Amino acid sequence: MAKKKIPITHEFIKGFWKENPVLISLLGLCPTLAVSNSAINGVAMGLATTFVVICSSTMISLLRKMIPHQVRIASFIVIIATFVTIADRFLAAFYPDISKELGPYVPLIVVNCLILGRQEAFASKNNLGRSLLDALGMGLGFLSVLFVLGSIREILGSGTWLTFQVLGDGFHHWIVMILPPGAFLTLGLLIGLSNWINDKRAKA
Amino acid sequence: MKLFIIFISAAVVNNFVFTYFLGICPFVGVSKKLSSAVSMGMSVTFVMTISAGVTWLIYHLILVPFHIEILEYVSFILVIASLVQLVEMFVRKISKPLYDALGIYLPLITTNCTILGLALFSILRNYSFVESLIFGIGAGAGFTLALVIMAGIREELELANVPKYFRGAGITMIVAGSLALAFMGFAGLISI
Amino acid sequence: MSTSLKMVIVLTLIATISGAMLSSWDNFTMPRIQEHRQRELVAAISDVLPEHDHYDEVVVRELTLYVGKNEGNEPLGIAFQATGSGFQGKISMMVGVEPDFSKLTGITILEQIETPGLGTKIVEDRSNKVNPFWFSDQFRSVHTYPEITVVKNKKPERVTEIQAITGATISSKSIVKIINDTVQKARSEYQKFLDEVS
Repeated sequence: MAKKKIPITHEFIKGFWKENPVLISLLGLCPTLAVSNSAINGVAMGLATTFVVICSSTMISLLRKMIPHQVRIASFIVIIATFVTIADRFLAAFYPDISKELGPYVPLIVVNCLILGRQEAFASKNNLGRSLLDALGMGLGFLSVLFVLGSIREILGSGTWLTFQVLGDGFHHWIVMILPPGAFLTLGLLIGLSNWINDKRAKA
Repeated sequence: MKLFIIFISAAVVNNFVFTYFLGICPFVGVSKKLSSAVSMGMSVTFVMTISAGVTWLIYHLILVPFHIEILEYVSFILVIASLVQLVEMFVRKISKPLYDALGIYLPLITTNCTILGLALFSILRNYSFVESLIFGIGAGAGFTLALVIMAGIREELELANVPKYFRGAGITMIVAGSLALAFMGFAGLISI
Repeated sequence: MSTSLKMVIVLTLIATISGAMLSSWDNFTMPRIQEHRQRELVAAISDVLPEHDHYDEVVVRELTLYVGKNEGNEPLGIAFQATGSGFQGKISMMVGVEPDFSKLTGITILEQIETPGLGTKIVEDRSNKVNPFWFSDQFRSVHTYPEITVVKNKKPERVTEIQAITGATISSKSIVKIINDTVQKARSEYQKFLDEVS
C-alpha cells in the first residue's frame, strides 16, 4: 500500500461521518441499541467508550514496538479490559444512578468491536499523536450516534429530552421506542438515512 | 423446574438478541444463509456453555475467595479468548468435517457480546454452576433461533425489492425490530 | 532475545501493570460503592418501617431481617428484601411488617423491568393525579393472614385485599405473590430465631 501523507486532522474527522463506527462500519451495535433509550444514557455510554478507546489507543500506541505479533490480541484485550473495569468502577462510585441505568453494558464495552478494531487497524501501527486523534474521533463519532438515537427514542417514547418535558401531556407516548423493537427500527432508519445522505454527497 | 424456566426464559422470553441486544454484530453479518446461520448458532452455543461453566468456576473458586473480584472482566475475556482458541484446535483434531462446518466462525466468537454477556449475567443473578450451564444452553439456543429466523427472512429478502438506501444493514435492523416486537409476545409466559 | 521469551516478558509486564492499576483503583472506589449501597439500604428500610430509632440486623439462614427498634430496644417493625419474577423480569423490593407479622407497614420497589407506562405503575403512576404512589401505598396497612389477594377494577373490600393496576394485572399479582411467599418464610424463620434466643 502506497504511503500517502494523510493530513493529521483527517484522522480526527473521519470518525464522525466517513468512517462512522456505527452507521458505516456497523460496529458496537450491542451497547448502541441497549442504552440508547434516553439521550443522557446514550451520552454516558458514549463517554465511557470514548474514555476506554482513548486510553487503550494511547497505551498500545506507546507499546506498539514492544508487543510481539503473536500475542498482540491477548495484550490488546487485557489492556482494554483494564480500562473498562476502571470506567465501570468509576461510574459505580461517582455516578451510581447512571451506573444502574447502563448496567451490564458498561463491561460489554470490552467486546465492543469498535475498540479492538481501532487497536488492530490503527493504534498498533501509528504514532501517539495520530492514534489519539483517531481514538478521539471514533469515540466521539460513536457518541454522536448514541446521542441522536437516544434523543429520538426518548422524545418519542417518554416525551422528555435530557429529562425535560418537551412534548405535552396530550402526546401519547410511543412506548415501543424505549423498548427493544424501537431501538432496532430507529437504527435501521438512521442507517438508511445516512446511506441516502452519502449517496447525495457522492453525486454532488 | 427452575432449570427449565431458566432455559425457556433465556431462549425465548428474554431472548439474548431481541431483549438484551447481545450478539448483534454477527447477527447482521452472518445471517444471510440458513446453513451458515445454523453452524454459527451451534458453535456459539457450544462455546457459550463451556465458558459459562469455566467463568463460574474462576469467579467462585478464585476471584471471590481472594477478594479480587475487580479482575472479573479481565479474567473472563482472557478465558473466553483462550477457550475459543482451544475449542478451535480441539474441533479441528476431533472432526475435520465439523471443523469445516463451524471453523471459520469460531475466531469471530471472541468478540461476540453474547459470551461475555452470559458470563456476566450469571454472576449478577447468582446462578449455581448447573444453572449457569443451563442458562448457557438456553441463551445459545435462543441466539441460534434468532439467527435462523433472520437468515430465513433474509434469503427471501434477496429476491425482494428493498428500497435502495435500506439494502443490507438498514432492512436487517428493521426486520430485527419486527422480530423483537413479535418476541415481546412471549412476556408473561412463565411465572415462577 | 528469542520471541518466546519476549512474548512471556511482555505479557507478564502488561499483566502486572494492569493488576497494579486495578488493585489501587479497587481500593479507591470500593469504599464509595459500599457507602452508596448502605445509603440505599437505609433509605429503603426507612421507607417501609414506621419511624424508629435504630435497626438491628438479624440473619436467619439466607434471609436478612432488619428489626427496627425504638430507644427502649422494643421492636417496631421488621424489614426484609423480597425477590421474585414479575411480568418481564426480576422484581426486587423491601417489605416492612409489624413485629407480629400480622400487617404490612409498607413496601418499596428496588428493582424492576416491567413494561414502561403499564407495569412500571407499580413504582409511580403518573396518570393518577391525586397520588401517583397509590399502588405501593396500599401495602401500608394490608393484613397478611391468611394471604394478601388481588382484586381487579373495584375497590378492595376486605383488609387482605389490594387493587391491581388496570392493564398490569400480572405485574400486580406477581408483587403480591412475592410478598406472600417471603412474608410466610420470614415469619417462620423469625419465630425459630426467637425460640432459639429465648
